[in-house]
Amino acid sequence: MAHLALSLFYILVFPGLLFLSVFGLAAEYVDRKLYARMQNRMGPPWFQPLADLLKLFGKEDVVPEESNPQIFRLMPVIALTAAVSAFFYIPLWDKNALFAFNGDLIVVLYLLTIPTLTFFLGGWYSTSLYAKIGSVRSVTQLFAYEIPLFMSILSTALLANTWSLSEMTAFYGKNPVYIPVNIVSFFIALIALLGKLEKVPFDIPEAETEIVAGTFTEYSGRLLGFFRLAIDIEAVVGASLLAAVYLPFGLSLPPAFGFLFYVVKVLFMIGLLALLRSVFARLRIDQMVNFCWRYLAPVAFLQLLVTLAVKGVFLR
Amino acid sequence: MGIIEKAVNWGRIKSPWILHFNTGACNACDIEILAALTPRYDLERFGVQLKGTPRHADVLICSGPVTGQVACRLKRVYEQMPEPKFVVVVGTCACSGGVFDGCYNVKSGIDAVIPVSAYIPGCPASPMAIIDGVAKLLGSLEAKEAKQ
Repeated sequence: MAHLALSLFYILVFPGLLFLSVFGLAAEYVDRKLYARMQNRMGPPWFQPLADLLKLFGKEDVVPEESNPQIFRLMPVIALTAAVSAFFYIPLWDKNALFAFNGDLIVVLYLLTIPTLTFFLGGWYSTSLYAKIGSVRSVTQLFAYEIPLFMSILSTALLANTWSLSEMTAFYGKNPVYIPVNIVSFFIALIALLGKLEKVPFDIPEAETEIVAGTFTEYSGRLLGFFRLAIDIEAVVGASLLAAVYLPFGLSLPPAFGFLFYVVKVLFMIGLLALLRSVFARLRIDQMVNFCWRYLAPVAFLQLLVTLAVKGVFLR
Repeated sequence: MGIIEKAVNWGRIKSPWILHFNTGACNACDIEILAALTPRYDLERFGVQLKGTPRHADVLICSGPVTGQVACRLKRVYEQMPEPKFVVVVGTCACSGGVFDGCYNVKSGIDAVIPVSAYIPGCPASPMAIIDGVAKLLGSLEAKEAKQ
């Protein structure tokens, strides 16, 4: 009974849904503020993401008559659930994740793909033309950035010789010499994460200057609020994944310091994403797919070969 | 009023998302509205964001007299917005029809078609006047909440 209560506490309060929501909103604030400062603006006040969310939760949900109401209503909740559950398998401020087994790396990557699929289904079943174009674009984009992301994470897993994120961070914590081997794949994963979060150079699915609001055109009120929260949480989970794989430092610190260090690492990632977002302009979908397959995927493949060579020479 | 309602009202005042709709203006007011959204005035300080779709918007910003052709579209855009929603009209033409009032193809101001919450006169209204008008609308919401 106590075990069950503890698990529920982990899942719903800390480090689960409640903590993640607060952290996700804070990360959105940091992202928007940095973005504004880099554009020479003041930027929003610190409570802005919370105010947006509360307002959306208090608004009317309009469900279009021609849409499929079950799928239309279900998709935001599934997106949120998938993003939150991916978080439990990532080692955060401790050497071990909350729940870990051999192969959780694949589960995390799979769970992080689900939000994109829900954007597709939600947009497709809302039957608006703009939403349909946006949802098709989001899936097209998925096929472009997902392979480089998987290959770059795979190269770190190969070097550590495990499919478990916790064992990977333990390996890199013990042998920090091998972290720089994967430096190229870090940047590939960062660029792919921008695509996953549909942030500026890759915000083609919701390009508001051409297709209104893309996938989310028909979403309003609470359902839109869930989608926004899911995207915020996905940003935090993606940043934590990169931090756990590529910056596995400070995991043996005492819990309070480890937690602070973890927050700093994630905010650093969010800052990098904001920097990329304010430097680049939006690409076209064909340019994006071209870039990912012509440059990103081959470089990720080269990284894989380098990692294999390092493994063959030094880690036999 | 319960604490949840209070929190939602606070969110509503702090995060007005706007939709910009030209109902037949000469473009001068539109340029001023866009100027108000630039980094120089930075409306994101007040949580204002320009949205592309009526489904996301809380405040509909209209400019220009309502022409005969745009009247039904204006009504449709208004009806597509989820409740609660507000309309702000920018410019003398949008307030009353201005010099176009009485033309054969014009239906006077915006309030001839949809209910309006705030009027911002001017030909064109300057960005400062637009920001002042939006701030006054939000202030009146706050005062209404305090009275309840």
